[in-house]
Amino acid sequence: MSFLELKSLTKNFGGLCAVDGFSLDIAKGSVNALVGPNGCGKSTLFNLITGTIRPDSGEVLFAGVNITGRPPHEIARLGIGRKFQVPAIFDELTVRENLIVASRKQNDRTAQADILAQIHLEDQADTLAGELAHGQKQWLEIGLLLAQAPALILLDEPTAGMTAPETRATAELIHRINRDRGLTVLVIEHDMGFIEHLACPVHVMSKGKILKSGNFSEIRNDADVKALYFGTAEETVDA
Amino acid sequence: MRNSLIALLIFAALAAAPPVIGGYWTGQLTGYLVYGLLAISLSLVWGYGGILCFGQAMFFGIGGYIMAVITKGMVLPDITSSYLGLIAAMAGAALFALALGYFLFAGRGISGAYLAIITLAIALVLERLMNNWYGLGGYNGLLNVPPIKLTFFGASFELWDRVPTFYAILIVVAVIFFGTTALLNSAYGLRLTACRTHPDRLASLGYSVLNIRLSVFSLSAAIAGLAGALFVTLDGFASPTLIGFTLSTEALIWVAIGGKEMLLAAFLGAILTRTAESWLSEIFGDYWILILGIAFMISVVLLPKGLLATPLEKLTEGKRR
Repeated sequence: MSFLELKSLTKNFGGLCAVDGFSLDIAKGSVNALVGPNGCGKSTLFNLITGTIRPDSGEVLFAGVNITGRPPHEIARLGIGRKFQVPAIFDELTVRENLIVASRKQNDRTAQADILAQIHLEDQADTLAGELAHGQKQWLEIGLLLAQAPALILLDEPTAGMTAPETRATAELIHRINRDRGLTVLVIEHDMGFIEHLACPVHVMSKGKILKSGNFSEIRNDADVKALYFGTAEETVDA
Repeated sequence: MRNSLIALLIFAALAAAPPVIGGYWTGQLTGYLVYGLLAISLSLVWGYGGILCFGQAMFFGIGGYIMAVITKGMVLPDITSSYLGLIAAMAGAALFALALGYFLFAGRGISGAYLAIITLAIALVLERLMNNWYGLGGYNGLLNVPPIKLTFFGASFELWDRVPTFYAILIVVAVIFFGTTALLNSAYGLRLTACRTHPDRLASLGYSVLNIRLSVFSLSAAIAGLAGALFVTLDGFASPTLIGFTLSTEALIWVAIGGKEMLLAAFLGAILTRTAESWLSEIFGDYWILILGIAFMISVVLLPKGLLATPLEKLTEGKRR
């Protein structure tokens, strides 16, 4: 049964069709990755799901409920958490205070300590979030999502700016939260190495639509996907 | 905690002041305490809530007029309770802020310079309105506003004398100051900081940014309304100048000089600026404004956290180690 169902979502900005009749079903408890070149509409798609912008047409169904066009905080309360592309944390609050704000319903100290351990920030609990290293900020934002305790999390380039070991650790973290907490995860990512570590179904997005879906090796060897990322075969030979 | 200790010392010093400074200055200082309350309200909404309200005096003026019409018996001749006046002043200012805030913050919301300009314009409109509202005294305002009448258990006492009035106002200001401080130290304070720094993030965690902004805007307006209500009982009249442009910008200057992100600094900013104004305007006449302007520029350019907040923060950090 599909948990998140996107039905022919369309969004135009002026003359540009950012998302063009996009449809996708995501099963409960699954991990899915969405890849595609810059400007293919990935972040716009997230904005449509989380209510930041309204679609021109199409529907978003979450756990069977039509959430199209609802305000962001209501969609968040229904159980959708989102990690932004640029680390979105509260710079002027400490790491611990960030987690307190994120655990809207109950301020559970043991749960927060548990999250601090998972995101490897136990020693920085009283550090101002703005003073963390870039990779640590990315993790703190994932920590905010865990404190929010949603049922579905949307991750927009969670490993942007991370070192290779940090990227691997992030893939492990995503698997762990998917397994232990039963969270459904949808990831947007550029980094093919990270996608390989995730070992999950991959959907390639191009010009606001899905170009191909499959597992990592299918996608990597697909001629259309190669053309999208590296140019056409002739051009590759020329270069 | 450390901040509260310093605040306690400052309030203790204020409480000890009247015998030292004498009757005239006690009277002056009472007015400055009320301006300090207005500064607290502005620091709350601007420094903590991130809403730059350029027309904070409108809430002060609304509170002042409501207090005046109630205690003068213009609403109901038999009910002239000071308590009722104070409560109605706070409620009236808060409700006005709620309605205004809804138009400002709903939907995409207005922020930054646009918000500042709109609030300034509304303050100007209200000032014009009061200038021409003859039922409420027009340009001359409402005269003979009675002093605060305290009644407990049937006994009543009117605050005519300077010293008792000073202490009554000091108690009110202290209660509001420590109450607001406690609120800002709670989870609500964290949410305010979060809302100021990253509203989109806060919304995506399930919070209604609109509700948080409305709550801080109304609370701040209620405090400003209380300040206005107290103010008209001191001078005995409510006039259009309470509601408009000049007082709004003056309050901004006090808060900017003191430090908008620290209630105590904003409060002291108002008191010290007003005190300095009394002294320096006697010596320098109108050139005093030049000195104030220079102090304002120094604080904006060199010490954006405020002339008073910067040393006060040093003091509290020193204690932490």
